[in-house]
Amino acid sequence: MLDTILQAGATVLLDPVTLGLMAIGTLAGLLAGAIPGFTIAMGVILTLPFTFGMSPIQGITTMIGVFVGGLSGGLMSGMLTGIPGTPSSVATTFDGFPLVRAGKPGLALGLGVWSSFFGGIISAITLVAFAPQLAFLGLEFGPWDYFSLIIFALTITVSLSGGNMVKGLIAGLLGLFAAVVGEDEINGVARFAFGSDEIRQGFSFLPVLIGLFAFSQLLTDVEDSERAKSPLMAKTADPVRVEHKKAIILIFKSWVNLVRSSVIGIFTGILPAAGGSISNILAYDQAKKAAKNRSEFGKGAIDGIIAPEAANNATAGGALIMMMALGIPGDIVTAVMLGALMIHDIIPGPSFIKDEPLLAYGVFISFFVAHFFMVVLQSLSLKIFLQVTKIPMYILACVILAYCAIGVFSLHNIVFDIWVMFGFGLIGYAMRKLGFPLAPMILGVVLGKLIELNLARATAISDNYLLFLSRPWSLFFITMAIISVLFPFYQSSKKESFFGKFYVPLATISLSIPLFMMQSPVRTFVAATLLLGGFYLMYQKVKKNNFI
Amino acid sequence: MTHRISDLVVSILLLLFSAVMINDSSNIRDLGFDGMKADFWPNIILWLLVIMSSILFGKSFIFIKNNPAISNLKIDNKILIISTLIKFKNAFICFAMFMFFLLTLDYLGMLIGGVLFVFGLLTFLGNFNFKSIVKHFLISIISIGCMWGIFTYGLKVMLPEGEILNVW
Repeated sequence: MLDTILQAGATVLLDPVTLGLMAIGTLAGLLAGAIPGFTIAMGVILTLPFTFGMSPIQGITTMIGVFVGGLSGGLMSGMLTGIPGTPSSVATTFDGFPLVRAGKPGLALGLGVWSSFFGGIISAITLVAFAPQLAFLGLEFGPWDYFSLIIFALTITVSLSGGNMVKGLIAGLLGLFAAVVGEDEINGVARFAFGSDEIRQGFSFLPVLIGLFAFSQLLTDVEDSERAKSPLMAKTADPVRVEHKKAIILIFKSWVNLVRSSVIGIFTGILPAAGGSISNILAYDQAKKAAKNRSEFGKGAIDGIIAPEAANNATAGGALIMMMALGIPGDIVTAVMLGALMIHDIIPGPSFIKDEPLLAYGVFISFFVAHFFMVVLQSLSLKIFLQVTKIPMYILACVILAYCAIGVFSLHNIVFDIWVMFGFGLIGYAMRKLGFPLAPMILGVVLGKLIELNLARATAISDNYLLFLSRPWSLFFITMAIISVLFPFYQSSKKESFFGKFYVPLATISLSIPLFMMQSPVRTFVAATLLLGGFYLMYQKVKKNNFI
Repeated sequence: MTHRISDLVVSILLLLFSAVMINDSSNIRDLGFDGMKADFWPNIILWLLVIMSSILFGKSFIFIKNNPAISNLKIDNKILIISTLIKFKNAFICFAMFMFFLLTLDYLGMLIGGVLFVFGLLTFLGNFNFKSIVKHFLISIISIGCMWGIFTYGLKVMLPEGEILNVW
C-alpha cells in the first residue's frame, strides 16, 4: 500500500503540469466561490470541458482544486461585504463580517483561510483512512443492495433539498427518466428515440448537467435588468493583509471547536446530498451551544468563524469518501465529479480503490495538496476577486453562455449536444421558477444508468423480488429511504402528535432489524444498542404522555 | 397562491407527458431474452411519475377549491401575458438569441456565430449607447477569440467553421 501511495504521490507531486493544473483549478475555484451568484458546482461543471483532453488524474486533480478553492472562496465575499459567495459560507458571515467591521479584516480572513485549511487536512486524513475501509464494506453489496442504496441516496436528496417533497420526487423521477432515453445498455434497444438517430445515442451527461445547472443559473442571474447591469457587488472591499500567524495561534487555542466542527463536516459530507450548505450552519450552531460566552456570537466571535469554515471544507472529504468507496455522490459537486470520471471511462465503486489504486490515491493526495494551494493562492485571488466584482453580471453571463456552447460541443464534436444543453436549460429554468429542486434531478441523471444496471443484474440472478427485503444491506437502505421520506413530515408535524412523538424511537428500532440480520458481533452490538435506545426513547415518550 | 395555479398546470402537463411516454414504451422492442425487459424500468419510472403528478394535481386542486379568493380570481389574459413578458424579458431574449445562434451555426460557424451571439446578447441586456456598443464589440471579439484559440489550438477541438469561413 505504501508503494502505491508513493507512486500516486509521485504522479501528482512530481509532474509540474498536474501541479500547475491543480493550482489553476484552485484559483478558479476561489474566484467561483467568491462571486455571489456562482456556485462551486457551477465552477466544477464549467471546468469539465477543459479536462477532456487531459489524463484522468490531471482532470480529476484540476476539479478537486476547483472544489477545494470554491469551498474557501465563499468566505472572502462573505467577510468583506456581508454577502456570502456560496451557501456553504453563510454562517461564516455571521461573525466574519462583524469582525471585519470591527477593524480586523486581516485576522478575520486569516481565521477563515486557516480554519478551512485545518478542516480540510483533518478530512483528508479521514478520507485516506476510511475510504478503503468503506470500500471493503461495499464489497459485501450485491446488486439488490446497490439498487436500494441508490434509492436511499435519491430519497435523502429529496428530503434534504427542502421545499415540497412531491416536487422533489418528481424532479428525481425526471432525472431517472432522462437517463433511460436512448439505447438501452443491457439489450441495445432504442427507447423513446421517436425515430431520431441523435436521441437514440441518449443524452450525454455533460450537456444535461450544464443545461440544468449552469444555463438556468445564468438566466436567473440576468433576470433583473437593473441588477444585471450594475457591478457584481455594490460594496467593494479594500485589499487587506491576511494575519496568518495570529490566526493560526487562535485556531490552535480553539482546537476542540476545530476538531468538533471538522467531524460534523465529515459526517455531513458522508450523508448523500447533505453538503457544505448544511454543515456550516450545524457546526456554527454547535460552536455557539458549546461556547462559554454565547453573547459574543454574531459580534465577531473567533469560534463563530472557525466552526463553519472548518466544517465546510471537511464536508468535501466526507463527500469524497462516499464517492470513492461506494460510487455514490455525497453532494452535487461530487455528482459532477462522478460524471467527469465516467467521461474518462472510470466508474468509482467498492472495487475502484483496489482496481485503480494509482488514481484513487492520486485523488486523496490531490485533495490534501489542494489545501496548501488554497492557502497560498488566497491572497492572489483576493486581488483578482476585488477586480472581478467590478464587472456587471450580464457581461459574465453572456460570455459564459457562449463558453457553455463551445464546452459542450467539445465533448463529442456534435451540435446535437448543444441542443440538448439548450433544452435542459429551458427545463432547469422552468423548474427553478416553479419551485422544483434541481439536486434530485441531477442525482437521478447521474445514477440513472447505475440503478437500472443493478436492477437488471438482480433480476438476472433471481426473479425473487423479496430479496430486496430479505438481504440485510438492502433492507437497511430501504429502511433508511423510508425514514428519509418521512423526515420532512416529522419536521412539520406537531410535537404532540402521535407521529411527532414516535418517529425517532420507531426509526431507531426499525434500523436495528437489518443490523441484527447481518450476524456479525460488532453489528449485532450496534443493533442491540439501537434497539435498547429506541425502546428507551419510546418508554420516555409513553411515560411523559401518561399512556401507562 | 399563483404557485398553486402553476402547480396545477404543471401536473397536467406532466400527466400528459407520462401518457405519451407510456404509450411510446409499447414500441420498445422485446428481444425475447430472459431477464429484465428494456421497457420494464422506464415503465416503473413513468408510473411513479403518474402517481406523483396526480398527488400534485390533487393537492393543488383541493387548495384552489378551498380558497375562494383563488377560484374566483378573474385573470385578464392580456395583462397576464404582458406582465409575464416583462418579468422574464431577459430570459426570453437569452433563449431567442441562443436559438438563433444554434440555427445559424451551420452557416456562421462557432467563431462568427459566437461573436454575434455575445455581441447581440450584451447589447440587448446592457445599455444601448455608442460607448457600450464599442465595449460590447470588444468583449465579444476578445472572449470568443480567446475561447476559439484555446479550444482549437490548445485542446485540438474542431469547432464548426460554418459555410462562410469554409468558402474563404
